[in-house]
Amino acid sequence: MSLKLRDLIRQVRSCKTAAEERAVIAKESAMIRTAIKEEQEQYRHRNVAKLLFMHMLGYPTHFGQLECMKLIASPHFPEKRIGYLGMMLLLSEEADVLMLATNSLKNDLNSSNKFVAGLALCTIGNLATADMSRDLAPEVEKHLTSSQPYLRKKACLAFSRCILKCADMMEDYVDKFTTLLKDRSHGVLITVVQLMTQVLLLDAEKNGVGGASVCRSAFLKLVPSLVKLLRNLLSVGYSPDHDVGGISDPFLQVQILTLLRFLGTGNEKASEEMNDVLAQVATNTETSKNAGNAILYECVQTIMAIQSEEGLRVLAVNILGRFLLNRDNNIRYVALNTLSRCVVQAGVTDDGGPNSASSALQRHRTTIVDCLKDPDISIRQRALELIYHLVNNENVETLTAELLNYLVLCPREHRVDICTRVLRVVEKYSPDDRWRVDTLITMLTIAGRECNREVLNFAIVYISRANEELRTYATHKLLKAIRDDDGTQKGLLVVGIWCIGEYGDLILKDYNYVPPPSSNADNSNANEEPVHISFMALDPTTVVKTVEDVTKRHTCPEEVQELALTCFAKLNDRFATIADEQTVKKLNNLVKKHKGSHSLELQLRSCEYTALISVAKGNVAQEDVTGESTAQDVIAAAKEALSRMPVVDLAVIQRKQKLTGEYKDSDNASAVPGGKSVSSSNNKSNEAAEPNLLDLNDIFGAAPTPAPAAETSIKKPIAKQNGTTKTEKQPEPPKAQSDLDLLSDIFSAPAAPAPPVLPSDPFAANTLAATPANNLFAPTPTVVPTPTVPPPSPFLPDPITAPTTATPVTAPPKGPAVNRIKGFTKEGLDIDFECKKPDPFNKQKTIITVHFKNNTDDSLYGLNLQVAVPKYITMEMQPPTSTTIPITGVVGAKQVTQTIHVTNTMLGTKNLMMKVKLGFTSKGNKIEHLQTCSGFEAGKY
Amino acid sequence: MISFILMVNKQGQTRLSSYYQWMNMQERVALESEIIRKCLSRSELQCSFLEYRGFKVIYRRYASLFFIVGTVANPDAGPGAENNENELGLLEFIHTLVETMDKWAGSICELDIMYQLEQVHFILDEMVMNGHILETNRSNILRPLDLMDKESKKKEGMFGGR
Repeated sequence: MSLKLRDLIRQVRSCKTAAEERAVIAKESAMIRTAIKEEQEQYRHRNVAKLLFMHMLGYPTHFGQLECMKLIASPHFPEKRIGYLGMMLLLSEEADVLMLATNSLKNDLNSSNKFVAGLALCTIGNLATADMSRDLAPEVEKHLTSSQPYLRKKACLAFSRCILKCADMMEDYVDKFTTLLKDRSHGVLITVVQLMTQVLLLDAEKNGVGGASVCRSAFLKLVPSLVKLLRNLLSVGYSPDHDVGGISDPFLQVQILTLLRFLGTGNEKASEEMNDVLAQVATNTETSKNAGNAILYECVQTIMAIQSEEGLRVLAVNILGRFLLNRDNNIRYVALNTLSRCVVQAGVTDDGGPNSASSALQRHRTTIVDCLKDPDISIRQRALELIYHLVNNENVETLTAELLNYLVLCPREHRVDICTRVLRVVEKYSPDDRWRVDTLITMLTIAGRECNREVLNFAIVYISRANEELRTYATHKLLKAIRDDDGTQKGLLVVGIWCIGEYGDLILKDYNYVPPPSSNADNSNANEEPVHISFMALDPTTVVKTVEDVTKRHTCPEEVQELALTCFAKLNDRFATIADEQTVKKLNNLVKKHKGSHSLELQLRSCEYTALISVAKGNVAQEDVTGESTAQDVIAAAKEALSRMPVVDLAVIQRKQKLTGEYKDSDNASAVPGGKSVSSSNNKSNEAAEPNLLDLNDIFGAAPTPAPAAETSIKKPIAKQNGTTKTEKQPEPPKAQSDLDLLSDIFSAPAAPAPPVLPSDPFAANTLAATPANNLFAPTPTVVPTPTVPPPSPFLPDPITAPTTATPVTAPPKGPAVNRIKGFTKEGLDIDFECKKPDPFNKQKTIITVHFKNNTDDSLYGLNLQVAVPKYITMEMQPPTSTTIPITGVVGAKQVTQTIHVTNTMLGTKNLMMKVKLGFTSKGNKIEHLQTCSGFEAGKY
Repeated sequence: MISFILMVNKQGQTRLSSYYQWMNMQERVALESEIIRKCLSRSELQCSFLEYRGFKVIYRRYASLFFIVGTVANPDAGPGAENNENELGLLEFIHTLVETMDKWAGSICELDIMYQLEQVHFILDEMVMNGHILETNRSNILRPLDLMDKESKKKEGMFGGR
């Protein structure tokens, strides 16, 4: 036989270990299950009570659910009572057995015994589902007018649950509340006020805040009653029934104030009606006890939220000030809480006047900042929250310094958040670039371990956007920080190594900086003498050594290793003429070191950079140079790849962020702001083109005579090549230019033959790796640009055996059928398609190289070629080698080409067909042309 | 609204738990142990509020027992709504709860709660319903409970007996 509850508790208490306890419970559970199976009715009540105990200890009790159902149907009150209690504690709202209870609940609701009905109401209030609410609401509603206050109060909250579950019912019962507000029982009053608050909240959710709905307007008429109720509470004097520390029912007062807040927000008339009573509460409430402070706290919130009188606001702000200076931590906590709530609430509407929340905030700035040093984390968190709202142009420097100080002491798990918040502050309020760069670097030295990708990206963007002098400063500072660091601040390493790679040549000189004395004379006087910043010149060996030391640590993350490789490759270029032979040699070795690495990325980078460096030095193998390109082209392109990255346009990145809405902190490179759209790999540029497809549809849709064959397929597979440069005369609809802008800025920087596409995430895994693949060697028309990023295709030479991966000039397989097809001529621009089968085993694939020939007597600008193909063809387009076409035939003029990869999935049955849209500017005239090209040999392409 | 009420002793053993928002067993066990750990790490002088996983927790210690109330933003106000619970008010409510229990048991101690678990739940059910405050007057809470106990013990009471 199973134990008595008392004995079970005793046994559990005497257990010395958790295992012992588990054994006792397991044994008892088994006994209870048996009892349930054998339908031992007399023990049911006791068993459920035991289950409640076991449930509290955290053991499974699901097998007892049905027992509860049986108990609530019992005519015996103690059994029914335990049954309902078991139901409320053991069952979730989703439990299937719950619907079995509906009938019992209905019976009990109609019971003449008030305790039975009370139990049913309580259960409905805690557990009712939408179905139950619909079925039982009429019964619950009957109890709202019961003669017993015991039932009326329970009915109010039960009804509030019903309304929550089926919101459509609420309008039918609004008029009931008027009478309930006149009730004499405080229990009924507090419940009906909460019920009304809930209805308003639901209403606001449905109709928008302040929306005029039936309920809201009905409740607004009740404001005078509520005011009267509150006033009565204030004036009633001592009432032993509801006295708490000398205050009459603080709980009810708080609830009424909350309700008044919801009613008065955005409603002038209601606000006016409650002004007086709020003033009374604010002035007359005793503040020596906690209960009084609870009321004041609520009252201040209400005053700040509604459209209250000026004098009242002064009162509220003063109370808040008093709270802030209170020695009791609880009071300070709620003061901080209220302030941030008020500031958020006020938001845009805050006029910044002397009595607004924000002015109160500024007045108590030092107190709030002091709270950051409080030993209590709850207070610190609240203060931190407030400080973000406090920052403005004037105090940004001091407050950021405080935030950084706090960053040092705060728990690790909060650092990510703080870093991001500091970044926002720095973005918005920085007085100058130097301060911004300085702050970000300091932050990285403190929390480089924790801060997320976004912070790193922006740090780099800001450094790269600064002037040469500041870059030097940043690089010096970062190098020093890296040296001092123990190698665990990953973020610092990432940013530092990137900067050293890019600007390594700048730190070989002495650096001196004297802040301009005139600009911020006040500051410098207040603090100390203008700080004279200087760094000693470094020699290349030291620089290399520093980075090498970082990579030598076995804790060094792979991402940093990868970046260090890029850094070495770049330094090799920077130091080529400056450093001594040994250092250069060392750099070469460092790059080569990972040729046999197990990590694909490291190996790939190592091989590619080695090849790149050797090409940049002029070692061009004969097989690399094919077709019309010259060795010089190849060398120039390699040098271009190793030179500095063009500056990223911040505005474009930010716009991009808004567009894609990606502010997610992710360590994934592709989720980095802007990284997705401008990454240079082929597939990514196609992705980025997608948002523009619709615009293109319009363009094509407006075409005068679309070829019938292409028309069917015109909607979808339009790939828009991303490399088009936007010129001022570009005939693009403005909407479509978000991507173009981004790239135009990048392209406008260098005037090299093949400008590398810049990924805005400077660390995108394929930064350099992919660049040569797509652009570097593009001037060679016969080149097959093989993507060098994984996964390796059969044509990707094994990086180990063929270290020249970086040169994607893999000789095309033997005997590729090259076929040149005449395209069309427009305004002196000849277009030819050169078709090639790259893969002898996959006939579906074709590489089409478009050759542009300028037969006019002036260069053509702003070349923009867009191609649409039918659905059965997949296509990838690369940017043209140049958007300017020089006059063909003139000495030195470069051939302009553009490569398109197509795969005809229905080869044999359907032919390759392309709809081409061509745009360019000739002698100042914009020219647009639309043409269907179907002259490809049937069955072959 | 109130999301849960816990009574946990200094050793971290839960003596009573009442949830007004469903949570499965693993979640409950984790939540209870985490919160008590946080409460224990705080000194007397520190404030009685802490923030934990979206809950605002208000706690008060009486002898060896912690009374803990967890609150969340009102679910009716839609997602992202702010938690408008009055922390000081709930602190006062905890005190009322303790006073009520004190009056009920003479002088309440941990063992009273343990051995009369269901009775304490009955008291709580008279005070809180669905996460909202139902009654704060001690006699209004205890009188019906007394009556129920008395009547159900009688053979021929208002419940008919057995």
